[in-house]
Amino acid sequence: MSLINRSTYLTKVAAGSLVLLLLTQSACKKDFLEVDPQGQTPSEQFWITQEDATRAVNAIYGNLNDWELVAFAPIAIESLGSDETEKGSSPGDAAFLNDYDNFTVSAAQGQIQDFWIGQYRSINLANQVLDNVPGITMDENLKTRYLAEAKFVRAYNYFRLVRAFGDVPLRLTVPKATEEFNIPRTPKAEVWAAIEKDLTDAAAVLPVSYGPADIGRATKGAALALHAKVAMYQTRENAGRWQDVLNYTNQVIGLGVYSLFPDFEKLFRIQNENNQESVFEIQSAVIPTITDASNSQYSQVQGVRGVSWGGWGFNVPTIELVNAFDAADPRKDATIIFRGETTPEGDAIPPTGDNPRYNQKSYVPSSQHKPGFSEGAEQNIRVIRYAEVLLMNAEAANEQGDATKARQSLNAVRARVGLPAVTTSDKNALRLAIWNERRVELAMEFDRYFDVIRQGRGAEVFGAKGWKAGKNEVWPIPQNEIDISAGVLTQNPGY
Amino acid sequence: MRKKITRLFTCLVTLLFFHIALAQNRTVTGTVIDNNGTGIAGVTVSVKGTNVATQTDTTGAFSINAPENGTLVFSSVGYGTREIQIQGRSTVTATLTQQGTTLNEVVVVGYGTQRKIDVTGSVAQVKGEDIAKQPATNPVSALQGKVAGVQITNSGAPGASPQIRIRGVGTLYGSATPLYVVDGVWFDDISFLNPGDIESINILKDASSEAIYGVRAANGVVLVTTKRGRGRATVNYNGYVGVQQVTNQVEMANATEYATLINEMNVGQGAAAPFADPASYGEGTDWFDVVLRNAFTTNHHVSIGGGSERSTYNFSVGYLKQEGILEGNDYSRVTARLQSDVQVAKFLKLGYTAVLEGNHSNDAPAGLFYKAYTAAPVVPVKYADGSWGDPNDYPIGTATNNPALQLEVYDQESRNYRATGNIFGEITFNKNLSFRSSFGGEFGEGEVSFFNPVYYNPFEHPNQFPQGNTIQFNDTTLYRVTRSDTRNWIVENTLTYDQAIKDHRFKVLVGQSAQRYKFYKLEGKAEHVPNEREGDRYIRLGINSASRPNTVTDEGALDTYSSYFGRINYSFMNRYLLTASLRADGSSKFEGDERWGHFPSIGVGWVISDENFMNNQQIFDHLKLRGSWGKVGNASVTSNLSTQLVDRRGQLTAVIGGQPAPGASITTIVPPVIFWERGAGTDIGVEGSVLDKRLTFELDWYNRVTEDAIYDIPVLRSLGLSTNEIRGNQADIRNRGFEVSLGWRSEIGKDLSYSINGNLGINENKVLSVVTGQNPIYRGGAASTGGALATRTVAGQSIGQFFGYQVDGIFQTDAEAASSGLSGAKAGDFRYVDQNQDKVVDEKDRVVIGDPNAKYTFGLNTNFTYKAFDFTFDLQGVAGVDVYNANKGLRFGSENFSKDFYDNRWHGQGTSNEYPSANVGGRKNYLPNSWFVEDGSYVRIRNIQLGYTLPNTLTSKWGLNRIRVYANAQNALNFFSYTGFTPEVGAITTPGTVAPLNTGIDNGIYPLSATYNFGVNVSF
Repeated sequence: MSLINRSTYLTKVAAGSLVLLLLTQSACKKDFLEVDPQGQTPSEQFWITQEDATRAVNAIYGNLNDWELVAFAPIAIESLGSDETEKGSSPGDAAFLNDYDNFTVSAAQGQIQDFWIGQYRSINLANQVLDNVPGITMDENLKTRYLAEAKFVRAYNYFRLVRAFGDVPLRLTVPKATEEFNIPRTPKAEVWAAIEKDLTDAAAVLPVSYGPADIGRATKGAALALHAKVAMYQTRENAGRWQDVLNYTNQVIGLGVYSLFPDFEKLFRIQNENNQESVFEIQSAVIPTITDASNSQYSQVQGVRGVSWGGWGFNVPTIELVNAFDAADPRKDATIIFRGETTPEGDAIPPTGDNPRYNQKSYVPSSQHKPGFSEGAEQNIRVIRYAEVLLMNAEAANEQGDATKARQSLNAVRARVGLPAVTTSDKNALRLAIWNERRVELAMEFDRYFDVIRQGRGAEVFGAKGWKAGKNEVWPIPQNEIDISAGVLTQNPGY
Repeated sequence: MRKKITRLFTCLVTLLFFHIALAQNRTVTGTVIDNNGTGIAGVTVSVKGTNVATQTDTTGAFSINAPENGTLVFSSVGYGTREIQIQGRSTVTATLTQQGTTLNEVVVVGYGTQRKIDVTGSVAQVKGEDIAKQPATNPVSALQGKVAGVQITNSGAPGASPQIRIRGVGTLYGSATPLYVVDGVWFDDISFLNPGDIESINILKDASSEAIYGVRAANGVVLVTTKRGRGRATVNYNGYVGVQQVTNQVEMANATEYATLINEMNVGQGAAAPFADPASYGEGTDWFDVVLRNAFTTNHHVSIGGGSERSTYNFSVGYLKQEGILEGNDYSRVTARLQSDVQVAKFLKLGYTAVLEGNHSNDAPAGLFYKAYTAAPVVPVKYADGSWGDPNDYPIGTATNNPALQLEVYDQESRNYRATGNIFGEITFNKNLSFRSSFGGEFGEGEVSFFNPVYYNPFEHPNQFPQGNTIQFNDTTLYRVTRSDTRNWIVENTLTYDQAIKDHRFKVLVGQSAQRYKFYKLEGKAEHVPNEREGDRYIRLGINSASRPNTVTDEGALDTYSSYFGRINYSFMNRYLLTASLRADGSSKFEGDERWGHFPSIGVGWVISDENFMNNQQIFDHLKLRGSWGKVGNASVTSNLSTQLVDRRGQLTAVIGGQPAPGASITTIVPPVIFWERGAGTDIGVEGSVLDKRLTFELDWYNRVTEDAIYDIPVLRSLGLSTNEIRGNQADIRNRGFEVSLGWRSEIGKDLSYSINGNLGINENKVLSVVTGQNPIYRGGAASTGGALATRTVAGQSIGQFFGYQVDGIFQTDAEAASSGLSGAKAGDFRYVDQNQDKVVDEKDRVVIGDPNAKYTFGLNTNFTYKAFDFTFDLQGVAGVDVYNANKGLRFGSENFSKDFYDNRWHGQGTSNEYPSANVGGRKNYLPNSWFVEDGSYVRIRNIQLGYTLPNTLTSKWGLNRIRVYANAQNALNFFSYTGFTPEVGAITTPGTVAPLNTGIDNGIYPLSATYNFGVNVSF
């Protein structure tokens, strides 16, 4: 090969390698290493449009039927301690739940933590809206309403927290700086005050009712009714709060949009969701295209066990609850599914099985089950019914010395199920009658446990199961949370 | 894209034929033989003073173009070098003497090769022939027991990739698998390679050798060189057929024993005994016998290769069909490989390699082995009337199923197609300077097609067929198809300068690299898809109604890398060695100042045996001391860890006005910065040979610390985040250990030669420190342990240790249990140690109960050749490791027990103080405790092979060069005390599970099988 030839070759080679170099040059460009998150939106591109605000508010509602908010954790924290339910399922299944029934629970147990997590997740979603939506340019009326809706839900979650734990860290904004992360428990009085401020703000803005497209959103009535309950839970410390309970419940009644649903059993069926008695319901549905949004397990975990369409059979009614009903009270059969019965919707319950009774209020008939989804995933959770507003009204009126008004509200609830009117004018007797009415009217609705404590009767009613005054009014703060806080969080007495 | 691919292949095929036109006709031919007169394959034959070279074929023959008065240089690994003057001859026969050492062995290092004696780091080589000797479908699995410090954990599932760990695990949330570099192209997995196509595998074990691969090197680098053609055109065929059998099958309780146990369990829970007469059930069904089978394997591999000094080519096709030992489970694979190098001009060489692979499998249903373990032996496979056995027909609840029915209806097929390869050009400017540019990549496509047919509940639909049972039924067909695409490319340019001045020798490498990795997956799902014809499997045939919509989801990933690197090798008098390198890597996974990482390394070596003062000693034929240090990175961490993303989970969709209202919000906080996991490693080694080079040894001590490993930062739950923790660069993790490799090679008499190689790796794994303090991470297969977490990772301990209660006996009476401080305990339950002696047994009493990180890995590999017979015997094992046998305690109702449990259980006061009552899944017995942790040590006869090469006189009559027949047994004998199928338990691989934190938990793993093969090698 001659020298000339060789240099020609070299030129060609040089040209060739130049092409390769150019190819790689494109790879060396600065933006070669700039890659967007794939199929994800960075947060800088959020909180810009009205649609973002709408979605963030939707997220608050969507999250409300999360596992930690409606399933095992509330069963453990808000139900099993009471005398109306016990663990259920088969003896060995989730045996840890017995520790909540027997008050042998330790701070490290999972449901304590889950309950805490669930409430605070919801609070974060509300805080995100309250922090970020004000800066969005959008319809101002809608914005104001969105903020009020967020405040309602935040108040609802703090109510559940303060009831369960007493003092809790109060977060009313999304923490930004690191020092805002680890904050101590806020005294419960301040938490109550924050809840009430949120509810006052919410009630001032929220509409009395919505058009069909917005059913499920928080209303003025919901804010007032929850406010009444919040006030009622503070009456042991301050009996003067009964007047507030009376005022708020009177306002709800005065709205004129609520009435009792005539058929107590049908009240809890899917086709009667959001009826005239509904003050606030957590909305659930099966959305076949979004399976993650269709898996509310509220009904499933309590569903009849041992049938192909059934559920897990937890949180089952006790014999004490059965006995609490008057013989003539139709609510007994409407509240409890008995082994061997055939439900009004035609489901035959096997006469044998792990448990003699199941919750009928969370029950979804087999004909309404959607294959491929959790049993009863469509069941809404009735958070506040008008019946409870009436019972709070009755109790407050009685405490404030207005027996007539108290009886009027109480007997409205009894009349719906065909029970005779209570006639006593004795304040104590009437109080007991109202308490008992709450027990049977609101049975299996996660009210009983804290209601009894609120009445100051914890040791009297649950003492035989191990409940101790001075300790069991609240559950322990999750141990893991205390550990992570490096001592900033303190434990409740006795744990 | 399709067009581009077509063009690429046209180009490759043209190249293949191109080299034929370049063949020359002035040649010297000849043979290279050993002292026995047997031809030696793979000897490099070069013309002295030029870069003309070729290699001998499998018979030792060569053909080379050389000047009449030139000199030929013959060199080969293990044989040394010999020069022969041509002196006008046209035929030359060279005899090479085998050396008892591997000193002249050439090993592959990053971006080049090096003589083993010049290497300053720890590099191990496994030859292709040793890989091909094993009936392994995946080349990585053939490495088991071959290399000190490399732990391979095989799975019995056909087609599954084994788990590989090189010198322990140094990461939690990053990938723990090594980087594979196949002919210069980077991969995460090499299951697409046919073991028969591999020339050699080199494993870079120390940080200094790995550092040239920078950001991907932290878990070690496996360099795979595939075969290139050489010498006279040769056709090789290797084929075998074999049968696989399950090994160490666990004996389960029979029906009578089962019914007895279930009665005891119920009575222990305060219920009535459900079985009136256990003995009436007899032996019942042995479910493992029902679902397992003897499985057949067939493998064929044909290669055609050859070449001259101007060009080489190699073409091979392979076919493998492997049945799984589980009924209905199989894997088949077709591989094709095309390679050619052409010396286009004196200074220009072009070449390419292309590998095409396609595989297909009928998959095993997830969890089937757990179901077979737990299935009730009282239930028959089918009743006399042909209907399926149904646990609901027995008083045992619905926790178990009929595994035979599950297998029958399960229908999932996976297919993968992959084209990988590279093209390169090499320019030799002069004898010192050369430039190489290569472009390679991977083009992959995968499909998983799942079909759930209809099989009715016979109770609810007595007249509709086909039928399942009342536990396993499905009323609506479901079709789900997942397609995934991989599109990766890598471009690399390197410049090499090689110069020797007197006693000084330099080799300088500088290079640049750019890589792009793209993955995309699309999944479609439809219900009510018909199932009549093959053409029915279309999403569009789904019902697509409002309540049963067809759905489509997708996901993807895109990462890019840009890198610059350089290395210098310097040696003085071949005695003092120095290697130094530096790589700078930029990755799209990181942001701002953290985007670029720098990875330096340095290595020194001292060949002591070449020193003058060693001249008079007789002990060492060769002795080298080396030490090295380097930094490596692990970028295989989740992308966007420091980017805050909008949470759009379906869970946030609300129902408003009865309609879905999609939600989105912010549910995370992010750590301020995330950067590479940085590893720094030191390696000190000594290697040499003694006893007339017959005994070779290599000892290494290493210490590698992963600095700033991604670790959990616990966050207060009151922040309301969607996750339990955020991740940040928090932890230092150390792997420190010692490796020994010993080799003995000798002959006895004229006819028997043999070699014995042994290796041992000792590794100690430890999380040194965590920035946020004692900050344990609890993991460990919640699904496998009944919801409790079985592992803990914490500073001061090894990664993913088993953590739980220490069992010190069994409560013999209820009274003893009641006074124990363990709430709810009864007679027959585990007695846990009250570690803190606070009279209450609770979470605070949990301690470390085992370690899934193997302390010792070892192998012993032998080869014997006697006349025409050859014999291979390989042992392999691990020790100092624990396995969590989750099968024993994961119970929700009336699951079956092992025979061992039946024989040893507590069933009344004084019956056992070791095994609990049948209520082992209840009360607090199921919680992670020391009874579930077993010794995972084992020794196995990994491979025995006996081969016989037919006499040359016979084969040449048939026009063949060589015929060898062999019989082979793999995993034939296993020795261990573990009570499951095999203690070889890797990490839980469920998507989203972090492997290092979930290792060693046995929850119905696919058991290993023993394989017996008969095969033949033919070449002509």
